[in-house]
Amino acid sequence: MNLAIVIVIAAALALGIILRLAVTQSLQARRSTDLAVSIRPIDIEAFRNLINPAEDEYLRCRLPANHFRGVRRERLRAMAAYVHVAASNAAALVRVGEAALASGDARVAEAAQQLVNDALLLRRNTTVALARIYLALAWPNSGFAAVRVVERYERVSGTAMLLGRLQNPALPVRLSVRL
Amino acid sequence: MLQPHSLLWHYLWIGPQVLQGVLALFLWRRGVYRFFPFFFAYLIFGAAEQFTLYTMDVLPSVSTEAFWKAFWAGSIIEGAIKFGVIGELFFHLLRSRPAIAKLGSRLISGAGAAFVLLAVAAAAYTPMAHRQVLISRAHVLLQSSYVVDCGLALFLFLFAAHFKLIWNHQAFGIALGFGIVWCEHMAAWALSANGAWLEKSYLLDFVNTATYHLCVLIWFYYLLVPQKSATTSAVSLPENNLDIWNRELERLLHQ
Repeated sequence: MNLAIVIVIAAALALGIILRLAVTQSLQARRSTDLAVSIRPIDIEAFRNLINPAEDEYLRCRLPANHFRGVRRERLRAMAAYVHVAASNAAALVRVGEAALASGDARVAEAAQQLVNDALLLRRNTTVALARIYLALAWPNSGFAAVRVVERYERVSGTAMLLGRLQNPALPVRLSVRL
Repeated sequence: MLQPHSLLWHYLWIGPQVLQGVLALFLWRRGVYRFFPFFFAYLIFGAAEQFTLYTMDVLPSVSTEAFWKAFWAGSIIEGAIKFGVIGELFFHLLRSRPAIAKLGSRLISGAGAAFVLLAVAAAAYTPMAHRQVLISRAHVLLQSSYVVDCGLALFLFLFAAHFKLIWNHQAFGIALGFGIVWCEHMAAWALSANGAWLEKSYLLDFVNTATYHLCVLIWFYYLLVPQKSATTSAVSLPENNLDIWNRELERLLHQ
């Protein structure tokens, strides 16, 4: 009987999640405007500094072990904040790309398909990177590299710019900020 | 009214199957079956299976054992077709997204294996609630089957939501219908298999058949009513700083 109760609760939770996601999906499919507005620019150079292994090595040599762990955790938290924004931008770009896929212009559709693919890869990489960052937070002395996220972000940015130019040459996209 | 063999009981068992047959006919005439062959097979097999079981149930000459043997055979074949439907829905979700196709295939295989293990563990802990072994095991079989189906349906929705994928209108309708009915069936068959409400187990039949009726109506809406065109106007883009971005990119590339 206990097993039945557990399964019934699990079923109710699963049903609630499915219905909630279904409603969100329906609303998302109807609302494709103002997507690009939700894109937040990222200071890619600052992020690159944060993930630079040489900087970590420098701090490791200069600081006492316990102090280094504290600093490393702070840097990892900052890194996680950047990756969260990159993930959220990737999600917005997937939707921008999917909305543009229906375009009658073959060049726009091609750029949109490229954008969707790149943004999905970025989204995948940010998920993996976040998992590694949180792991590193628990184990600050371990090595960590999020270089692929940066590379992917740059590539997605390039594709988004191309799509922006094709759709509206007067209003290009802003995905990063200058230092 | 909520009694076995009442008018409502007959309607809820047969009504959805008639609608399901009509839906299969429409899908055939409109050529939609080519995009969802497993779902089409499910509609036809499901309707045929339930008509057979209904006939066997109302005919006094058919023994209880024969009914449950047919029930067993039908459930196994239907279970296999449902796995095909899940694969089909996942294929539609990833078809135009090669960037995550490999990851998606690995994840759904892993999730499937995990849910099968969970279902086996749940089955191992399920007591023999019914005097007849054939009936008890049939309930456990369905409990296990729906644990896997419900888990995979949940995985499909979570995967699509995580990557912000927009479902195809028809695939979304099929997934939503199955998602609702599989969750409800998982709970109902778990109650049956564990002997809850043993005296009033026919009430679970009403819940099961009514939910399935709702599910068929959802399929009717999503598969036959044309999709309202989404906003496809040019996406408004934020203000210009492409020049700065280009300069930054060039600087990064030349480091």
